[in-house]
Amino acid sequence: MPGYLSTRLPHYYPVMRIVLPDQSIRNVVQGPVSVESLLHSLGINPHDVIVSRNGTIVPEGASVGADDEIRIIRIAHGG
Amino acid sequence: MMPEPTIGAAPSCACCREPAVVYQPESRRYLCCSHFIRYVEGRVAGTIRRTGQVQAGDRIAVALSGGKDSTALLLILSRFLGDRKDVSMVAVTVDEGIAGYRSETIRSARDLARELGVEHLVVPFTAMAGADLDTLLAGRETQACTVCGILRRKALLDAARTAGATKIATGHNLDDEAQSVFMNVLRGDLPRLVRDPGFNAGDCFLPRIKPLADISEKEIASYLFVQGRFAELPECPYTRYALRAEVRSMLSGLEYRHPGTMRHLIESKQKVARYCAGIREPGTLNRCRECGDPCSGEICQVCRLLHSLGR
Repeated sequence: MPGYLSTRLPHYYPVMRIVLPDQSIRNVVQGPVSVESLLHSLGINPHDVIVSRNGTIVPEGASVGADDEIRIIRIAHGG
Repeated sequence: MMPEPTIGAAPSCACCREPAVVYQPESRRYLCCSHFIRYVEGRVAGTIRRTGQVQAGDRIAVALSGGKDSTALLLILSRFLGDRKDVSMVAVTVDEGIAGYRSETIRSARDLARELGVEHLVVPFTAMAGADLDTLLAGRETQACTVCGILRRKALLDAARTAGATKIATGHNLDDEAQSVFMNVLRGDLPRLVRDPGFNAGDCFLPRIKPLADISEKEIASYLFVQGRFAELPECPYTRYALRAEVRSMLSGLEYRHPGTMRHLIESKQKVARYCAGIREPGTLNRCRECGDPCSGEICQVCRLLHSLGR
């Protein structure tokens, strides 16, 4: 689990907002971290998802942190 | 593993130093949006040229489910073939009738075909099987992918023939191909492992082409995303029953830890196919006594399946 997770953080605390593949949301207090490390900490294989930061797709080596909105999108849909 | 990023520094494109949008583990390079689009389209063009998949006079039936792979396929083929007077396209969508899943993807397929100006046919399962997939599968959900696969291939083939197509293009990607190789090995199905889907056996089959077979599933999703065309569509509710789902998960883990695994698996299959070239499958090709389609026995797989489903 990355950083410190809480739904009761003071509103001024800078958090990274993560939208997971199932559309659930986690607010995380986290210093800069690579997308790859973030996915590892969430138990997600980077090969199975694409990740956007504030609406722009980013590679696994990009760093993400406070005030970013991260969306993790699962790519496989077929049968 | 990928080059360790410097926290705070955005990875830049290996070609132009613009901010990167994707990382390609096999070549260990980052690409920006425009160079990535150029890479994907160039790779597909190379596959089509190298394998002679599209010839003058061809009418290509593009299997358009409305999901990401077929969306990317129709987009790329439209860009390549849209201006050619000697080649035409028709998009074919098979509506299996899966509640909560298909209506959204069919709408997406319709919108895309209209936007690109491609003729579009929607073929419902009910026309061929007398019922939708949900009805056919009641009580036998674990057979979903087998039943759906057989009937979908037949519906697609019939629609393509009706539309006067000379070939069927499908959106199978590198991951799909690697999964199929592994599944055929797990099932011990050597004939299917080495069978060439592009083979043209007179009037029996329409050759199938797979222009995206060299592009990974992640690259296809990224290709659509950077153009604002990636839609998060619902997942097929029957996926959880499929062997493919387990194989996909396993190969995906291997590909991440050992980049190139999927490509190596496909290359192994191609080598085996070359060794087997010229060896004929036992049995002769007959015509189904019920529908007239080619088959190895007296009744084809589709008619046998429909009988077993009480149709």
